[in-house]
Amino acid sequence: MVDINAAELTTNQLNRKIKQLITSGNKAITILNPQARHNILVALFEQCDIHIDGSVGYYSASLLDGPTVTINGNAGWALGDNMMSGKIVLKKNAGASVASTIRGGEIFVGGDAGARAGISMKGGKLIIGGNAGFMTGFMMQKGEIIVCGNVGEGVGDSMYEGTIYVAGKIGSLGSDAKIVTPSEEELIKIWNILEGYGIKEKYQFTKIVSAGKLYHFDSLERFEKQIV
Amino acid sequence: MLIFIQNILVQIKVLFMCGISGIMHKRVQTKGLAPIGQELTRMLWSLAHRGMDSTGMTIAGQDSKEDFIFRLWTEKEIDVLGPVIDKIEANGGEIKTKSQHDQYIRLTINYEGDIKPIAETLYNTPGVQIHSIGRVSEIVKDLGTAKDVDKIHNLDTMEGSHGIGHVRLATESRVDITHSHPFWAYPFPDISVVHNGQLTNYHKMKGHYEMMGHRFQTQNDSELIAVYLAEKLSKGESLDQALRNSLDDLDGTFTYLVSTDNGIGYAKDRWSAKPLVIMETDEVVAMASEEIALRSVFSEELDRIEPQENEVNTWLI
Repeated sequence: MVDINAAELTTNQLNRKIKQLITSGNKAITILNPQARHNILVALFEQCDIHIDGSVGYYSASLLDGPTVTINGNAGWALGDNMMSGKIVLKKNAGASVASTIRGGEIFVGGDAGARAGISMKGGKLIIGGNAGFMTGFMMQKGEIIVCGNVGEGVGDSMYEGTIYVAGKIGSLGSDAKIVTPSEEELIKIWNILEGYGIKEKYQFTKIVSAGKLYHFDSLERFEKQIV
Repeated sequence: MLIFIQNILVQIKVLFMCGISGIMHKRVQTKGLAPIGQELTRMLWSLAHRGMDSTGMTIAGQDSKEDFIFRLWTEKEIDVLGPVIDKIEANGGEIKTKSQHDQYIRLTINYEGDIKPIAETLYNTPGVQIHSIGRVSEIVKDLGTAKDVDKIHNLDTMEGSHGIGHVRLATESRVDITHSHPFWAYPFPDISVVHNGQLTNYHKMKGHYEMMGHRFQTQNDSELIAVYLAEKLSKGESLDQALRNSLDDLDGTFTYLVSTDNGIGYAKDRWSAKPLVIMETDEVVAMASEEIALRSVFSEELDRIEPQENEVNTWLI
């Protein structure tokens, strides 16, 4: 395990140093004193373990493909943005747009998440131990969002595919989102996932999916259809 | 490719434009005044990446020995100090202290009664802009970063119980000192606002308030919030009620902070479009656009709260 004191480096220097250490064979790194700065830990494509001891700012742990990241603090907006694979475990609260546009991997938020959690997800899993805010799963296209607490208004607004599970209260459904009953197999699968994060409560989840009424994949304009 | 990069840059600008911060020391009555100017300077400097056009702050809860503190800004090459003093004295005000630094004038006066007649006289004085009139608060704002403003105005010497601050990346109106935040709610003493966002019903509501007799000193949409809240408070609403009503009455995206003679508060719009995070102890509550600003005043590890959509909260001394 190698320690890096972020307070002594610029964000650019810090991210370069992490990459250099990984390239030279260090696969376990601890970052100290992140001080809620933005863009800490971006564009890592190796399997490695990174521990961040403190809070991070916007777009941290983003553009990842492979690493396992634990953050012992809070995160600002868009934690894990565009992740392809790997795992992020955030101990406390996440800002808005956590897991935005992720295509794979898993993100766990121990506390609450801000507005637009899982916006435009294209795969992967987002698990939120607490509450999630306004428009959770907005324009989601694939993947799963699991919320153990409540969600705000407009959940699943304009989602194309994917599934949102909510254990608590739902502020309101978003446009073209509908509630369906989850199967027992699905609930067991979710309970097993949550147990991996130390959550043993057997929540009865509400399942939210797209009603499919906003599907307009035909690329022809109206006048073009008349011609065809 | 160029268009793609331009789009990204525009998105980054929209995401990061303007930063706000606020702080209140809850026990100043027993523990004495706090270095609000110094703390807000640190918070606003750590938010400098959100806007470097201008920086400003309200320092409130001061131990003022006089009835009112005036903060004025004057146009270059016009000597207005003499006429300003004459007009205040003609309206019954007694000048206790006066200082002029470059284009800035700070006056403390003793005066009993409604401050509106004096404010009106100064409003109509050519070359004069009123930045604030308060019994226990004053607004300091200037172009540049928090460090630039501190260097000129010695913010780190200013004490109080609470305050709010702003770093600006201009989008809605011109870059000058008068259009910088905070905005004072003319002519209501001690009410000021900092705002991150845009109001889409600004012109309609401004017209409404002008018809009611209110004056606006700028073309900045954020000034409307200050006047709106002052109007509500003057009608007897509590700060909390006024903030809640603003969620329905103001249209657009906003997270704003308000400072009064004895409190601070925030309101966050229904879209939850603009950030705010809060840390609180028994002694202090601080709020800012980003956690990095809170870390600049709290050394201990604290839980961070992020208000959700349609939320308001207030803290009173």
